[in-house]
Amino acid sequence: MKKVVLLALVGLLLLSTSVFAQEATPEPFTEEQIAASPYLQSVLTRQETMYDTSAYAKEGPYRIALAAQGTSNSWSALFDEHARWYAEELGADVIGELLYADAQASADIQVPQVEDLLAQEPDALILVPMGAAALSAPVERAMAQGVPVILCASTVDTDNFVTEVGTNLYASGAYLAQYLVDQLGGEGSVVVMAGIPGVTTSDVMQQGAEAVFAANPGITVLDIQPGNWSTAEAKTIMETWIAQYGDEIDGVWSGGAQMSQGIVSAYLDAGAAIPPIGGGEFGNGFLRLALENDISYAAWQYPNAMVTLCMDTALAILRGEPVPRFIDFQDSIPNTQNFTDAEGETYFNPNWSDDVFGPILFPAERLETLGFVVAGS
Amino acid sequence: MVATSTSTTTFTFRQFVIRYGVYISLALLLIVALVLTPNLYSQQTLTVLLKQSAQLGIIAIGQTLVLLVAGLDLSVGGVIFLTSVVIARVSNGADAQLPLAIGLSLALSAVIGFANGLLITKRKIPPFVATLAIFILVQGAVQAYTRGVPGGFVPEGLSIVNQSVSFISIPVVLWLGLSALFAFVLRRTAYGRRLYAVGSNPLTARLSGLNVDRFKISAYVLCSLLACAAGVLLTGYVGYVDRFIASGLDLDAIAAAVVGGTLFTGGRGSVLGTLAGVLLIQVLSTMALLLGLSIQTQFIIKGVVILAAVALYSFARSD
Repeated sequence: MKKVVLLALVGLLLLSTSVFAQEATPEPFTEEQIAASPYLQSVLTRQETMYDTSAYAKEGPYRIALAAQGTSNSWSALFDEHARWYAEELGADVIGELLYADAQASADIQVPQVEDLLAQEPDALILVPMGAAALSAPVERAMAQGVPVILCASTVDTDNFVTEVGTNLYASGAYLAQYLVDQLGGEGSVVVMAGIPGVTTSDVMQQGAEAVFAANPGITVLDIQPGNWSTAEAKTIMETWIAQYGDEIDGVWSGGAQMSQGIVSAYLDAGAAIPPIGGGEFGNGFLRLALENDISYAAWQYPNAMVTLCMDTALAILRGEPVPRFIDFQDSIPNTQNFTDAEGETYFNPNWSDDVFGPILFPAERLETLGFVVAGS
Repeated sequence: MVATSTSTTTFTFRQFVIRYGVYISLALLLIVALVLTPNLYSQQTLTVLLKQSAQLGIIAIGQTLVLLVAGLDLSVGGVIFLTSVVIARVSNGADAQLPLAIGLSLALSAVIGFANGLLITKRKIPPFVATLAIFILVQGAVQAYTRGVPGGFVPEGLSIVNQSVSFISIPVVLWLGLSALFAFVLRRTAYGRRLYAVGSNPLTARLSGLNVDRFKISAYVLCSLLACAAGVLLTGYVGYVDRFIASGLDLDAIAAAVVGGTLFTGGRGSVLGTLAGVLLIQVLSTMALLLGLSIQTQFIIKGVVILAAVALYSFARSD
């Protein structure tokens, strides 16, 4: 009997793993889409390419440099906390020292910081690039110095780095757009709230979305405007769109949950029905709004917890293990896959403040110390 | 005789441009909108346009005051962000704590304005440098206070600023009320007339017995308090502590005042001109959105309008 139960459990586990794997796997891309997107070409190629790291193999404990986005928002604060917690978890015999630099979300500040970190001769550099062009030269200098570079959460213009940890942003943008197409049955009008023009993450997601809309002639894109990842700016634009198009808007694509909060707020002020939104995230504020107002949405993820995978990757490189040149966190970190409103309630945490971006891997006490827990919860 | 007549006509035309240029430009733009974007005149669009103008308009009144004393305030973005954080952190989402949070925000804003004024008048630091330094200082202090996480809870009661009856909402009433108040103060009170005097010729004002420094400091304090008021409205509007809450508004407010005829060199300008400048910029932004123009085109149009306004005023004043 025990064996039957055990087998059933294993079967269920495998089934759930295969479901996760299906959700994590990007939709197959057409030849035209691949040909039109250098980003897609690069990611698809690098996913299949292994990097020989034997030259970097050495004994621990290691000194790892982390050039982070730094003090700017809750996402980066939780990113940093995950890094500190994970270094403690691994222990001083694995990571002897975690050298840290706070870029304050500025490429100008980050460039000299990377130089300073390299001067301390770390064993590996984990970099959250604040600018693809600006950080290319420092990355090349690090590689020339023999310090393996792991790009974390964003990319650079040069191809001279060991690996990148992130997700296929083109596929994320396409997934959110495909959700809207499916919701509308292939017929309807949408508006597109993009992120910051010129920022790789934003531009690539938008390209993925536009490719899906272009492939569905029944979908009309009424307008595309940048909400600059700002709740206030997104709300201002959405208010004007509601006034201009009214009920014509059948769906809203959004490149970030902060902007989606502004979009929802504009609809609530206007007293209009909220159409499906392709642009949620595992952000507690958005999830709360969505639950309170029964919003249909699809969500992608860009978890701050990915830094733990970046650290694991750095350790694998220093042990001389070959690594893929592109590592998708969706394949390794639980609860970081795309989801829809059907699963929203399982992601929402009433004890967290609105600005928490999950999943959170470290203990709840650390979250409370940082002030991210609702008082009295 | 002919020459005199021509000269008089030219002078009158220039005076006319200086006094009424912004109003005529606004009227022309509204006529163009009738043809290009008739949607602009729908009740919903006008309501949104006025509400968004109000946020910019209140900041622009403050910028007009400091421009009148030949100053400039780059710290208003910091004041707005600080206000947003203080409201969320001090009230922690409780409506009952809102008066305390707003009171504290106003007090801190007054201190910031006072510091700006002191640096500029007593330490003779150029307004650009002094207010930029204070902006950086305020941002740093907020980051230290929030440990880089500008979160918290905005009280539900503050969402009242989003309610509107027809075109009228609380931000619009506040904006028009403050505009009327400061227009009256500047034109009809001794304080206002002295503020112009201090701005147009500080030396003469000093020789006339005016405490020039005190007037300048008062302009910076008022500018900060008005930025705080705008911060309260914006926090209610967004309902969330957003690091980019004042993004673009600080510089747009200076642009609105300049387009409205206020001089960078001080002593000239009016709150009513600024009000028209705000409407001009906001109507342009809304029209660009209604036309579906790209953000790049929107920036170019805004830049051209500001340059054209400055060039026109400069030409009109060239004699």
